[in-house]
Amino acid sequence: MVDDPRVGEGFTRRRVLGTASLLPLAALLPELLAASRAEAAAGSPYRFFTSHQAAVIDAATRRIAPGPEDDLLEAGHPGAHECDVVRYIDTLLSAFDHRVPKLFAGGPWSNRHTKGVNHMKTFVKPDRAQAQAWRKRIKELQRTYRNGVTALDAHAKGDFTKASALQQDRILASSGIAAFTSLLFGHTIEGMYSNPEYGGNKGLAGWKEIGFPGDIQPRGYTTHELQAPEISIIDPTGIVAEVLASFPQIAQAYASGVWRG
Amino acid sequence: MRKAVIAGSGAGASVMALTLAEAGWHVVLLEKGPNYFTGLGEHWPPKTVFSNDNLKANRCFEQPDPDAYPRTFRTSAGQKKGYYVGGVNELPVAVGGGTIHYGAAMPRFWDIDFKQHSMLGPVDGADVADWPFEYADLAPLYDHLERAIGVQGDMSAMPHDPVLKHAPRSRDYPMKSGPQKRASILVSGGARTLGLHPYPFPSAINSEPYNGRPQCNNCGFCNAYGCPTGARGSALDILHRALLTGRVELRPETMVHRVEMKGRRATGLRWVDQHGRRGVEHGDIVILAASGIESARLALMSRLPDPHHRIGKRLMFHYFTSGFGVFLDQRLHAYKSWGAETACMEDFADPDFLGARAFAKAQGLPYIRGGLCEMGGSEDVIPEAQFYQYILGAIQPQQPFGRAFKELMRTSLLRDRLMGIQMLGHDLPYLSNNVTLDPKVRDRHGFPVPRITYAPGKHENVAQEFYIPLITAVMLASGATAAAAVPANTPLMGAGGVIPATRHILGGMQMGTRANTSVVDEWGRMHHTDNVYVADGGVFATSGASNPTLTIMAVVLRMARRLAGTA
Repeated sequence: MVDDPRVGEGFTRRRVLGTASLLPLAALLPELLAASRAEAAAGSPYRFFTSHQAAVIDAATRRIAPGPEDDLLEAGHPGAHECDVVRYIDTLLSAFDHRVPKLFAGGPWSNRHTKGVNHMKTFVKPDRAQAQAWRKRIKELQRTYRNGVTALDAHAKGDFTKASALQQDRILASSGIAAFTSLLFGHTIEGMYSNPEYGGNKGLAGWKEIGFPGDIQPRGYTTHELQAPEISIIDPTGIVAEVLASFPQIAQAYASGVWRG
Repeated sequence: MRKAVIAGSGAGASVMALTLAEAGWHVVLLEKGPNYFTGLGEHWPPKTVFSNDNLKANRCFEQPDPDAYPRTFRTSAGQKKGYYVGGVNELPVAVGGGTIHYGAAMPRFWDIDFKQHSMLGPVDGADVADWPFEYADLAPLYDHLERAIGVQGDMSAMPHDPVLKHAPRSRDYPMKSGPQKRASILVSGGARTLGLHPYPFPSAINSEPYNGRPQCNNCGFCNAYGCPTGARGSALDILHRALLTGRVELRPETMVHRVEMKGRRATGLRWVDQHGRRGVEHGDIVILAASGIESARLALMSRLPDPHHRIGKRLMFHYFTSGFGVFLDQRLHAYKSWGAETACMEDFADPDFLGARAFAKAQGLPYIRGGLCEMGGSEDVIPEAQFYQYILGAIQPQQPFGRAFKELMRTSLLRDRLMGIQMLGHDLPYLSNNVTLDPKVRDRHGFPVPRITYAPGKHENVAQEFYIPLITAVMLASGATAAAAVPANTPLMGAGGVIPATRHILGGMQMGTRANTSVVDEWGRMHHTDNVYVADGGVFATSGASNPTLTIMAVVLRMARRLAGTA
């Protein structure tokens, strides 16, 4: 019998066999992890969030980008909830539950402007460097979200979803929560305005709301569409007027890129 | 068969690979990043997974992830601590390099860029120098490359003064100019009423089928996006032909980290791949073409001979001055476009622009130069929203979210009603702007990361002061209700300096005739070596005042033909 050469170099046979038998297991690991998380999120329609976590994130993002159910003045204007921002965030936080992580949607186009296959639905495998960076990033985000929900509940003295809209606004703007609110705002933006393959922008509600056609390949735009005037007169009030009033400072902040974080 | 080993696969690397391979050389390209183009070297155009996807771009799909490949930044060598760790002016890390998502702007440099010291004179505190050749030497190479890659433009619409006077052309572009978009039409009109000379932006974007690639359909996901249809010309046009020779090997996901030396001779490039496998690719010559910053880093990590301490010095990024015009009477839909802007203007790059000499003299400078203005750009949706998040924090900190955010998105002052001008200002070379190895921070393989030390100098600040009112005037003349032009690199609100993000990476491996004041000779060979060449923007002796990709390719083509014996 020929021994495995490694056995003589400090490896016991048991260890060699053990490693070998772990190989198929390792391949199953993402699914197993997902399964164990699914157990934790039992009864939840989400991969990462429990039902309660999802409800808290839904309530908080409704305050950040309110829709018709959240603010009478937003009648007819879908917000975070209508765009399914919670699904977007859950998809990001569980990106590595899939054999090909849901980080980079594919190409060259969806089927929104052509018949046939939606190529964006087939995600692109990250290379090692990207996978390593994102694994670490998402692990940190998962912790931040768990702690963030706990903190929101604590500030609401039990359950954030039971607090009034006014209380929720106060909590989200309070100094102890501000960093989490800022992260949540960033993800709300991504969930509303990114391609729907990432889990949000349900029914393209985010794009429709702002009159943006979104991904347009392989249709593109005609020369006429490039050049046509689009008259749209506004008389600025409220926040828009405020932005115009301090336009030079706003322009300076914009150009400097400091807001990119 | 002679063999060349190249670090990188972008603008410079591709031209070097094709020229050498056509002359019978064996060429191996080692590229740090992945290949997003299936079938390159087999069928054309290759299949791609790039798409109209703002989020994917923001997630560092093709950009180096700052977690895996960080850089560090400080504004001066005196800044001992607290400097920034993260992304600093990176180009894509992927097959094709910067050209896979550049705006494809293809202007030429001017005669005075190559002879800046002798034609414009020295500037106190700056290291102004001449290149070892002149515009006339590059002109036929520009012609050649405009055809090889496919550039649209309209010579008859280009002003003699200052453009054709300083960059004479013997023939028109291989493709006519495509249609102007709304925002570019308006801003060009405004500029003309002030006596300025905007013209259709020369761009490597197909206005008709060219090189086996389709006509552009104006999807607007252009600058900073990979092209989904293949309508954009790039290093891939060159790489594909190189691979078809059968003498070129392209190895993605393989990072070069050392030049192997034996005395003055390089024997090969040492690499590590994504799986941690390591090796050396041996060759008769080695070529660093990983961008100004990364080639300098590689030279420093390899401790290549540098008796006069010139490696990494004279980094130039261009200072960007941004103009914002807002329209309250119309939406400009700037996203419907080929390229980011369909018009440009070079008047402000001219040191003899009306009043510029007098303004410079009053400030104690011999001259000032602004740069090419990209006319009619805007912003993408996700960054627009992120900026509103930021300003809500500043304007209404008691409730920095809510309905006001949605109101801003619907009104879209800073995207759909925005008309942008971006001036790519001329950077003088300063020895104090440079790349060194960071003493502490390491990348994912454990190698020291590039530390960027950079700040605009007096010339850049004075030039912006002069041109800012003019940029504002152009926007108001175009019909904008509100307009503001601002420097992009002024420290703001306690930040230690704005992190450079111009994507124009020039200098660091300067070309020159004298071994004590430059890094490479006029043919790209490092002075103190027999066979180490540099073939990227690093070799630039001056920065010019416009988008540099075509000039990078032309300079490398000049070197490559000499190396191949086909000059």
